[in-house]
Amino acid sequence: MRSPAVEFEEEQPMISALVPAVHQALSSPPTISNRFFHVLMHIPHDVGGQPDIPRVYQDIPEVDWEMRTYIDCECLGWRGIWNSEERRRGENDLGETIYFGFPYYGRWITTAARTLISKGYITPDELNAKIDEVSKRLGVKE
Amino acid sequence: MRKFQIGDRVTVKEGTSLFYTRVQTYTRGKTGVIADYRPAWVIPEDEAWGRDDGRKEPFYVVRFNQRDLWPEYKDQNDTLETEIYERWLEPAKEEAK
Repeated sequence: MRSPAVEFEEEQPMISALVPAVHQALSSPPTISNRFFHVLMHIPHDVGGQPDIPRVYQDIPEVDWEMRTYIDCECLGWRGIWNSEERRRGENDLGETIYFGFPYYGRWITTAARTLISKGYITPDELNAKIDEVSKRLGVKE
Repeated sequence: MRKFQIGDRVTVKEGTSLFYTRVQTYTRGKTGVIADYRPAWVIPEDEAWGRDDGRKEPFYVVRFNQRDLWPEYKDQNDTLETEIYERWLEPAKEEAK
């Protein structure tokens, strides 16, 4: 007989994928209830108490772009452009979909870009042109 | 000057926290005990918006019994500690008569 513990560990990723999802179409309704306002304004990192099941621990090594992102963000702090709490707030400002859709450091670098633009250090067209230039140089397709 | 001392029972305030918070929703309105001190630091309401020279306030480690946070929690001895700054704390409700 297979060990239930081993079985659970193997099947757990499949079980996670079965988490029920609630889909509600949103199209700028003329009014919303106070309760729904509260739901929409939920701050993504305040997850304590949300139902979930145990995840299998995965020790995924950090890759170059992640470490470069970390260093870039720390240097921005060192140079007085922002602080870590500002970054965390900015990550939450991305909204639930992007917050949980992006890799961890994807949230960092996106928030860094938004902060640099909103504080007037760079302009969006400058950043866009740079992205296009680098994409072309590296031969990025999609 | 700290408002609370180690051992004081405190209740976390229930208030609106628009856009950003460091005070977990599950602690709001719950009562715990001051377990330790943390240095005064700029409160997140200022620091998170780039106000590095914002208002400084003492932080505390507040210890909750898990059962007080989660009604269905099984073990009655398990605790949870989290750091909360002064403006979100008030003397425990059952003692503030």
